[in-house]
Amino acid sequence: MTAELRKEETAEEFHKLIQGYPPEKRYIIPIMHELRRCYQYLPRPALEMLADHMQVPFSQVYGVATFYKAFSLVPKGRVNLKLCDGTTCHIKGSQGLIDEIYRTLGIRPGETTGDRQFSLETVNCIGACALAPALIVDEKVYAQVSNARLQEIIEQNRRGEDGTESN
Amino acid sequence: MRVKINGQEIEAAAGETILEAARRHDIPIPTLCYHAAFGGQGHCRLCLVEVAAQGDKRLVASCTYPITAEIEVSTSTPLIERLRGDIIRLLYRQAPGSELMQDLAREYGCLDEFITEDDREQERCILCRLCVNACTALGASAISAVLRGVDKKIATPYDEASEACLGCGACAHICPTGAIPLQDEGGNRTIWKRDFELLPCEVCGRPFITPEQRDYLIARQDDLDTGLLCDACRRTRVARQMEPFR
Amino acid sequence: MAQKAIDPAVRILVCCGTGCIANGGLEVLAALRSGLAHRNDMEVESSDSALATGCHGLCAQGPFVRILPQDITYCRVQAKDVEEIIAKTLEGGTLIKRLLFRDSQRKEFISCRQDIDFYRHQHKIALRNVGEINPDSLDEYMERGGYQALRKALEDMSPDQVIAEVIRSGLRGRGGGGFPTGRKWLSCAATADSPRYIVCNGDEGDPGAFMDESMMEGDPHSILEGMIICAYAIGASRGFIYVRDEYENSVRRLEKAIKDARARGFLGTDILGRSLDFDIEIVRGGGAFVCGEETALLRSIEGEAGEPRDKYIFPSEKGLWGQPTVINNVETWVNIPVIIAQGADSFASVGTESSKGTKVFSVVGKVLHTGLVEVPMGTTLRRIIFDIGGGVPRRRKFKAVQTGGPSGGCIPESGLDMPVDFDSLRQAGSMMGSGGMIVMDDRTCMVEIARYYTNFLAGESCGKCTPCREGLRSLLEVLTRICHGQGNPGDLDRLEEIGETMRLASLCGLGSTAANPVLSTLRYFRDEYRAHISQKRCPAGVCPELTELYIDAVLCNGCTLCVKYCPTRAISGQVRQVHVIDREKCIRCGECVSRCNQDAVLVR
Repeated sequence: MTAELRKEETAEEFHKLIQGYPPEKRYIIPIMHELRRCYQYLPRPALEMLADHMQVPFSQVYGVATFYKAFSLVPKGRVNLKLCDGTTCHIKGSQGLIDEIYRTLGIRPGETTGDRQFSLETVNCIGACALAPALIVDEKVYAQVSNARLQEIIEQNRRGEDGTESN
Repeated sequence: MRVKINGQEIEAAAGETILEAARRHDIPIPTLCYHAAFGGQGHCRLCLVEVAAQGDKRLVASCTYPITAEIEVSTSTPLIERLRGDIIRLLYRQAPGSELMQDLAREYGCLDEFITEDDREQERCILCRLCVNACTALGASAISAVLRGVDKKIATPYDEASEACLGCGACAHICPTGAIPLQDEGGNRTIWKRDFELLPCEVCGRPFITPEQRDYLIARQDDLDTGLLCDACRRTRVARQMEPFR
Repeated sequence: MAQKAIDPAVRILVCCGTGCIANGGLEVLAALRSGLAHRNDMEVESSDSALATGCHGLCAQGPFVRILPQDITYCRVQAKDVEEIIAKTLEGGTLIKRLLFRDSQRKEFISCRQDIDFYRHQHKIALRNVGEINPDSLDEYMERGGYQALRKALEDMSPDQVIAEVIRSGLRGRGGGGFPTGRKWLSCAATADSPRYIVCNGDEGDPGAFMDESMMEGDPHSILEGMIICAYAIGASRGFIYVRDEYENSVRRLEKAIKDARARGFLGTDILGRSLDFDIEIVRGGGAFVCGEETALLRSIEGEAGEPRDKYIFPSEKGLWGQPTVINNVETWVNIPVIIAQGADSFASVGTESSKGTKVFSVVGKVLHTGLVEVPMGTTLRRIIFDIGGGVPRRRKFKAVQTGGPSGGCIPESGLDMPVDFDSLRQAGSMMGSGGMIVMDDRTCMVEIARYYTNFLAGESCGKCTPCREGLRSLLEVLTRICHGQGNPGDLDRLEEIGETMRLASLCGLGSTAANPVLSTLRYFRDEYRAHISQKRCPAGVCPELTELYIDAVLCNGCTLCVKYCPTRAISGQVRQVHVIDREKCIRCGECVSRCNQDAVLVR
């Protein structure tokens, strides 16, 4: 159920990906999107290569990367919990879920657990307000999540002792 | 093109900003993020003025508003003064450590503002971005505006010492609030978390330029035919060269 | 049961909008397709008869299966129900009561969609095809008159006539500003510069709004057709659709639509045999609410951080890469083919004096029938929220509705009979925005809501100009203090003062409206602020520091439900004994309040 295969973080892979685009500034954001798809975050060497390819200062690429919320500069956990904190979800209790996740996993939005198993991010609105509060794990949307249901979801996604995923 | 500013008729070039036209005629408009070298940015909004055209009045940023019609401008009304005062008050809260902001807050009567968070006491940056403009104009582009919203700040990539930085200190020199620490000590300079060596002036021996900036200038101007001179010695030498022509 | 062959003319529309997909819509579709294919004795081509459509609107009741021509709508369908639907309804001709829509007020089951109040009061122009066609099929779009408007424009009208028609229709931009669309086109066409560009703003960033999403994934060709007509009118050669980062389905459907339109000669060179060259590409947003502001959006397409610029020169004169650019919102584009095909007069006959046509709203929050609603401009809020939306559920009381997204305003009960259009909402201290409508009940704290929106905007502002960035920072500080019970009497005046500075001095539309949630709640719910400040009390029982939850000894029937769900085990009590909340352990998460069937958990 993983979103997409993670590619190896090597210079050759970055090079192949970036060279697929013409060296025009307007492709900076599309390249960042593709990096995100492949690695779930924007690796620094890839951003440096991107700046070279586009002939723009690295500081400018960094400024763009930090401006947009879609892009993370730090690696994500194996399981990324995306919690909707749109208005509807908010008034239907997403803050309670954020607290519950902190109590259970010790992470706040934008953070990853020490063992790189879980990370948490909040998104503004996934456009599924009838299902509030909603939680997305690996593209699967869980609707009307309660604290109890949240515990189940976390357990389901936790890697078992033998290294396989339970459930 | 004729425009009226505070009742005074002045001549302005089409496309020129209100601020530029006003300054040419010594009509004062306060600014924080404007510098003649880079043009208007529209960031600080201190330069708000009222424009009346076709029976319609509205507030605009004079540093970015281009004159394209015969308009009437007021640079100061009770409303504008109140807004400027509030902008100063808001910026002072953000950068209470800056002497400039303290002075302005005093001038606009909002120094008594209660500062709650201690960790902000030393903050000086008002995000005018003149430093970013200076760094870009000099060709280094080592710093940029990063993040967004209330987290916005000026930084090098990853907040680390930047390879692109020349250590020229232009950012610190242009900063109106003294927010960029630059330390020169015993032939060394520290800025944006990076340590530089400083080379001495060939005449007076005072350390004044980093090897990175020297190399950059050589690459840009082919050579430094006058030698490696600090500003003071360069001025002296130029003055001496001019003497026969006096 | 009398088995008979399935009617060969049957069409089964399965809602595959984002909400229904999340609830299993795709599984229902797959089950229907394989179920139909396995019936060897039928004459229907199974792949044709069951198809995925865009959003049916009534998202709270999804996934939907609508069976035509009988027009039977089943709600809350799961894959396991499909076999029964095929056997009983398609073959047996009988209804399955359990899957029908139940009208809780009239206490009856309804099979035909038009008899459901939610649909009956709507007037569909922008959503005319959404939920009715397979969005991936160009043929289905054309069967419903698609690309006829383009043909009409190209064959019977001059570019000037097209612009005149759009001006005459009175169409105003649906993205929030309400600027007259035709005038925008005219000013772009009047420039001497070329190339010219066309942009579709699909960066729907308002939390709680999904109108544009439903159109992009449910009827992508209408957007393309609107843009191509504009390209002809203003002489543009390239178009861009900027789609919000999160909208995967929209991107997929638009990509397919563009590919198909190219193959049929609606895009590319010599469109419909005329000397019109125009093509469209999709640009994905990066997750930034401010990019809904048009100058920020253009910067983003150019590959920069999405910071707006002063709009003293409009994008229609200097836009993308400094060239003349027409930028309109998704819903605006979708209206264009209708105006050209049916004429400006027909369009202008709907709506109010200053706002013509219809508007799509996403009605969400504490409302029974969460979903998408399209009504004529001038429809009252009461009709939208109560007649169509079914009112506030769980016997709670309506308190306010937030219109216009995060930088809109909260309108109280006294404003419910206001006819909704661009100008009336602005007068009420709110705005149309792109059409989000969030309904709040008496369990919503207006101070906390203002704090929530301010916090959202503080993170979403681009951070460029002082009034917006520093204003939001200060508003948030003050509001947070008030919510924590540390407010001062002078705070309310200061909030208003900052809000006024933001409104007048900010650089862009985001900044100048960013204080609306604070200003409008101060205007209509000042007492609630005062209660937080002077009595240190949160009347709605939301702000944890100012709230205490207790269980009413008379109402509690001792069911232990709250005990089981309390995350901090703060509730004690045995079966059929009154339960008690431990004040020290309680974190005021409200889980017990929503679990209790007796409404016995109260706020002090």
